[in-house]
Amino acid sequence: MTTSQVSTSTVDLFADATLQDPFPAYAQLREQGPAVWMSAHHLWAIPQYAAAREVLSDWRTFSSATGVGLNPQINEIAGGSVLISDPPLHDDLRRVLSSRLAPRALKGLLEDMQRQADDLVASVVARGTFDAVADLAVAFPMSIVVDLIGFPDEAREHLMDWAEGVFNTFGPDNARMQEGFTRTQEMYEYLAASATPDRVKPGSFAATIYEAVDAGKINAAGGLQLLAAYGSAGMDTTVNSISAAVTLLAQHPDQWAALRADPSLVNSVYEEVLRLEAPVQGFGRATTRDYQFGDLTVPAASQVFVLLASANRDGAHYDDPERFDIRRKALDHLAFGLGTHTCAGQGLARMEARCILTALVNQVETVELSGAPTRRLNNVVRGWESVPVTVTPTHGKAN
Amino acid sequence: MARFELDRNRCEGHGMCVSVAPDIFELTDDGELQILATAVSVDRVAQARTAADACPVRALQIGD
Repeated sequence: MTTSQVSTSTVDLFADATLQDPFPAYAQLREQGPAVWMSAHHLWAIPQYAAAREVLSDWRTFSSATGVGLNPQINEIAGGSVLISDPPLHDDLRRVLSSRLAPRALKGLLEDMQRQADDLVASVVARGTFDAVADLAVAFPMSIVVDLIGFPDEAREHLMDWAEGVFNTFGPDNARMQEGFTRTQEMYEYLAASATPDRVKPGSFAATIYEAVDAGKINAAGGLQLLAAYGSAGMDTTVNSISAAVTLLAQHPDQWAALRADPSLVNSVYEEVLRLEAPVQGFGRATTRDYQFGDLTVPAASQVFVLLASANRDGAHYDDPERFDIRRKALDHLAFGLGTHTCAGQGLARMEARCILTALVNQVETVELSGAPTRRLNNVVRGWESVPVTVTPTHGKAN
Repeated sequence: MARFELDRNRCEGHGMCVSVAPDIFELTDDGELQILATAVSVDRVAQARTAADACPVRALQIGD
């Protein structure tokens, strides 16, 4: 390593103040280069779009087998799960549910999902003022995902806490990460004891996972890890992206008006929300060999942290990247990752968001914040704790 | 001219390429991806590249 070419930062990406608003820190890191040594946590941040794409596209060099979490415990405990593995093991695990999560398999759910979204939005519109997080962004995926995965009903009240805990375990060794392990442990204990083959809903994703275990395609421990992975990944991320969508639209009346004028923009809106407010801010990787970013060498066996949320605001890739522009069509954003580990549930997330946004466009004339939104801080997930909004109803359907 | 190669083992039918270039890609009623034009002219290579870059599972490659 030619140390003179190494750019170093002392920023603590996981301090409360940084998590409240990480974007100035990301901008600084992007200025510093494609890979920046973060002295606070002994890892290489990858803040630029092009380099982030390179890393995500090359699993042989940037392995997920050991380096997805930024602390050794999580990589040890959850090693061999669908998130913390490389091909071919990763592919065997992902294949269990990939055909059920593919958009073509989800199409049959759309009509029912849209009706549920319409009903939920009608109920909050009737109230006028509500919390866009608890009453909308949590309530909707909860009603969809728990049944799809097939967990017994009593899992509902714990799922958000568990999901938040699971994501915290991917951070560095800090208080949030320690608490995350406690919650993750609770989740595993519950799943092993109560989300058993005889109790999960017939025809659900969980039932498919247990069938794969019975067929010998994956082992029992792998099955339990898949239940935990899909149970947690299906909640927190979708919740935060829907909260972010409502918040951004409330803060940008011109964009809301543009969406109302052209409801076909619902898909484009969601991609722009994901670009600006990536629910998962970053994930780790471990290098298996020395790797050159231009003149800079990141040595083998380094911990890397791919800053998806920073890449999505890289001015070298997106014009005027800080601007919320629902017509942007930034379909190559990295909020869902890319390639081997790209979010398996992204088709479902898009479908849920489209249903909620369609219902809002049809039923809501104006939306504005009725109080200051508050953040929920997590080591890797960015989201709101509460977003008070006031809406006025449309007199007729918008389309 | 640029030519598309689609890896059907990877394609999950997310349809991002269709959003970028609906006259080049199409999803059938079964959700299978159809490539309507396997080769595109030089003036559309940038759009073709955007479509390939938008593929989350990296199932689309562009060759000469």
